[in-house]
Amino acid sequence: MRLKYYLIDKIYFIIIFLSSYLLITLILLAFKQEVLIIPISIILLVSLISLLLIDYFRKRKFYTDLLENINYLDKAYIVLETLNRPSFYEGKLLYDAFYKINKSMNENIKVKEEQFVNTKEYIEMWIHEVKKPIATLSLVLNKAPRKTKNIIKNLEDYVDQVLYYTRSENAEKDYFIKEVDLSSVIKNVGVRNMDDLLLNKIDFKVDKITSLVYTDMKWLEFIINQIINNCIKYKKKENSYIKIYVLEDSNKTDLVIEDNGIGIPDIDIKRVFDKTFTGSNGINRRTSTGMGLYIAKNLCQRLGHNISIISEENLYTKVIISFGKSKYFEVLK
Amino acid sequence: MIIEDDIQIRENLKDLLEKNSYQVVVLEDFKNALEKILLEKANLLLLDINIPYISGEILIQDIRKKSNIPIIMVTSYNNETDEALSISYGADDYITKPYNPNILLLRIKNILRRVNKYYNDKIIYKDLIFDISKGTIKNNNKEIILTKNETIIFSYLLSHKEEIVSRDELMTILWDNTEFINDNTLTVNISRLRKKLEELETTIHIDTRKSRGYILL
Repeated sequence: MRLKYYLIDKIYFIIIFLSSYLLITLILLAFKQEVLIIPISIILLVSLISLLLIDYFRKRKFYTDLLENINYLDKAYIVLETLNRPSFYEGKLLYDAFYKINKSMNENIKVKEEQFVNTKEYIEMWIHEVKKPIATLSLVLNKAPRKTKNIIKNLEDYVDQVLYYTRSENAEKDYFIKEVDLSSVIKNVGVRNMDDLLLNKIDFKVDKITSLVYTDMKWLEFIINQIINNCIKYKKKENSYIKIYVLEDSNKTDLVIEDNGIGIPDIDIKRVFDKTFTGSNGINRRTSTGMGLYIAKNLCQRLGHNISIISEENLYTKVIISFGKSKYFEVLK
Repeated sequence: MIIEDDIQIRENLKDLLEKNSYQVVVLEDFKNALEKILLEKANLLLLDINIPYISGEILIQDIRKKSNIPIIMVTSYNNETDEALSISYGADDYITKPYNPNILLLRIKNILRRVNKYYNDKIIYKDLIFDISKGTIKNNNKEIILTKNETIIFSYLLSHKEEIVSRDELMTILWDNTEFINDNTLTVNISRLRKKLEELETTIHIDTRKSRGYILL
């Protein structure tokens, strides 16, 4: 709150006061009471200045704190908690109005939150239920041809995508970070995609991996599964392969998943992690939802991993997931 | 013994296990589950983490107080915590739904073998002695050394001797052992294995059953 703007705001008050003062001076002159002009002027001007100053300083603390705290807090909406109810009338009105607005907004948010949690719970429950018939199917069709088994895998992948989408959009912490053997995660994803890889005649080349990383095993499995799915979807007709290897340095472990597929055009590469982005490759393929990499990136962020992609059209695509080697976890051990 | 509340899964699991020559008992009424399980004196328990009346985790803890029957936990929660917990409560292994039936069978077998302590590195079949840990087969004539893949294939064929084993089953077992081979490599491995068996001049051989798989005779 600045004095200059305060005074500009009080301009009518000042004008009326000064005109009354002028009028009083004229009346005094008219009645030939010149001696009274000086004392009356002093009284009036002192009272004008003190009225303005008292009013200014009463309000200044409240408004300055309000504005400063709003800028300083990262959640501006809790600003009311940092202020005392002011002593002047307008401030009280404002404070009480803020309080009511806040309360009604909080109630509104609570309702939405409940709706969101209910939806999330319902989706999780539904996925839990739908996995039962899928499990039954894979039992019944254990001896079925690869193509049939692969359909079940696709079904499972789509169901998982919904599950992890809801989880990644949700602020709750439903992951569990511990030391995980990277090779066992890759093995699980490999076995899961075996039929798909064999059907598509893609060589799955995995280096000997001994790295241990801190992550949530199930989330990481989902992330790698998304990437492998993309490798399969965007493969070339012949001599396709997927190479998986690890690059280690002193502060991070990089897991590289490389394929020799159709690659990603330069204009698309910056946007592959965007929600529902399919790019020119995706448009030509019916099954592209543009969600896989978006969810993968989201989950990586939550787990504290970095995910990046480099590619050259018609040559290769490399997806790199970086796991930090945190001192924090060393201490926990 | 199967403790699973979803009837479809339960019945199909039962079929699968019976086809693989296990005797299966299922629990259909989950009241007093603990007593019924203890009475049955089964060799292995396949337990769904989420059954009526009692939580799977509490059930495990209760069973563990009275019995050390091997338990495989079946979960459909994609949740690391549940699994870590179920192991700490005393389950021997866990598998997440939907599971790969071949891998489930493999886990069951491994656990039974471990628990019953008839796990033996050396398996004798007709005139052959197969040493899994060394990866060798020998008879009176000579001894041959198998590669890792051949060892995995031979031990699987041997444990299903005189039964048809499909290529997909072999593939799953190999991939589960981080040998991510393709169809051609499997064919090559089988034919190498055959040659090595011929070198031993034994009557034991691997037959191909067209579009069904292989059989060790």
